[in-house]
Amino acid sequence: MNEHRDDDVLICRCEEVTLGEIREAIQNGARTVTGVKRRTRAGMGLCQGRTCERLVQQILRAELGNAPEEIGTSTVRPPVRPVSFGSLVGDEGGKL
Amino acid sequence: MSAFDAIVVGGGVIGTQAAYHLFKEGLEVALVERYDIADGTSSHCDAVVLIGDKMPGIDTEQGYASIQRFKEIVQEVPYDFEFKVRGLLYVCETEPEMEAAAGYVADQVRDGYDMQMLDTKDILAREPYLAKDLIGGFWSSADATLNPYKLCYALVNHMRAQGAKIYDRTNVTGVLLDEKRRVKGVETDRGTLLAKNVINCGGAWAPELARMAGCDLPIQPRKGLCLISEKAFPICSQKVQEFGYMMSKFEGINFTRNVSERVARTNVAMVIEPTDADNFILGGNREFKGFDISAEIESIQAIAERGIRFFPILREMNLIRAYAGVRPYMPDHLPVVSEVDNVPGYYIAAGHEGDGISLSAITGKMIAQLVTGKPTDFNIDKLKYSRLQKGGKSIEQ
Repeated sequence: MNEHRDDDVLICRCEEVTLGEIREAIQNGARTVTGVKRRTRAGMGLCQGRTCERLVQQILRAELGNAPEEIGTSTVRPPVRPVSFGSLVGDEGGKL
Repeated sequence: MSAFDAIVVGGGVIGTQAAYHLFKEGLEVALVERYDIADGTSSHCDAVVLIGDKMPGIDTEQGYASIQRFKEIVQEVPYDFEFKVRGLLYVCETEPEMEAAAGYVADQVRDGYDMQMLDTKDILAREPYLAKDLIGGFWSSADATLNPYKLCYALVNHMRAQGAKIYDRTNVTGVLLDEKRRVKGVETDRGTLLAKNVINCGGAWAPELARMAGCDLPIQPRKGLCLISEKAFPICSQKVQEFGYMMSKFEGINFTRNVSERVARTNVAMVIEPTDADNFILGGNREFKGFDISAEIESIQAIAERGIRFFPILREMNLIRAYAGVRPYMPDHLPVVSEVDNVPGYYIAAGHEGDGISLSAITGKMIAQLVTGKPTDFNIDKLKYSRLQKGGKSIEQ
């Protein structure tokens, strides 16, 4: 992530989180992808960070100079992609 | 080596509130957190500040006092944590549930709380997307909501700006006691911190901290799973719970639900609430699985099934994430908010199970009152550490 980029560049498109907001979260103590996520909502949207997670990692690296293993990834949780509540239950309304 | 008046261990809702209230009393405070602020239960839970899920008596009394205290904190702290009073709607499927609910509401009304029984027409007027075959429910007007990890950040950012010491990513490895077992401070992996008062706000992890001071604490991790929907138009406008939720929370409530084996096996009851970001949090269940917070498919399916039963429109909506956390469960369903008698200066504020967000404000206030030797807002003898004996049962039981 180029340090000269403007603070108003959009990083997380789902939740409309800007570079400036992510930098502010880092100033407020975020050290990891998850720390940034909770402070800004980056990665909490429909795509669950598929688009922005790599960018957030790069911003953390650029701002803090910390190692990839310290920056981490967001926690992987189901589902792997959005799935309707109805399809989870089955057509019989829960009689699986 | 740094010296303080009080060291608070644990950076969740209870620890940040305790630290904030001590700081507000003018004490030199250090807040010590092993990982990031709000890294444990406070970011793996839902968002409610309720009285209508509490037993009549001190449980509800504390909940109500906490909501009133939150209204003041909103004015004191210049950071938003999405606090809103918007009430709680319970819904019932069967006559036995309505009878149990009526008994509960009568008890709470007798104690002065604003709750009222509703019929089918009333609940549909409040929530038009509810299933049409429900027979009624009740409404509690005092109940509120907030964002728990934002609450932690708000308090920490405010304290840090005012000069309080926040030691995040700092692991407490021991409690320092003098020859009379009086508290002197804590050892951490980043050095020694001195103080005559240490407050254990470790939640589900409080027992391991308590052991460092030679104290047994019978708190167990109790797992709860939540599902997050995609953003949508408001399918509900406040917290809505099935009355069967009470059954999943407390043992010994006398009614059974007509549910599938899967729902019964996973101890699921429908709870749903809207968030500020226009997602919905659908829950929930309570299970003993140690510290395992994996989101199991059977529990996910059971929560989806139970959600659809009450809000059929969920069938068409998408799940985007399932997450679980552990609640600090106490066998007698009451937290410990107390000094430890034989370790002067060692305090415990933990064991709130699913009520920690709700009770955090009043717990923080009472810890500050205990530490500064002031009378607490109301009698909290039932929350004393000394009620516990080996095996973790209350002495009264």
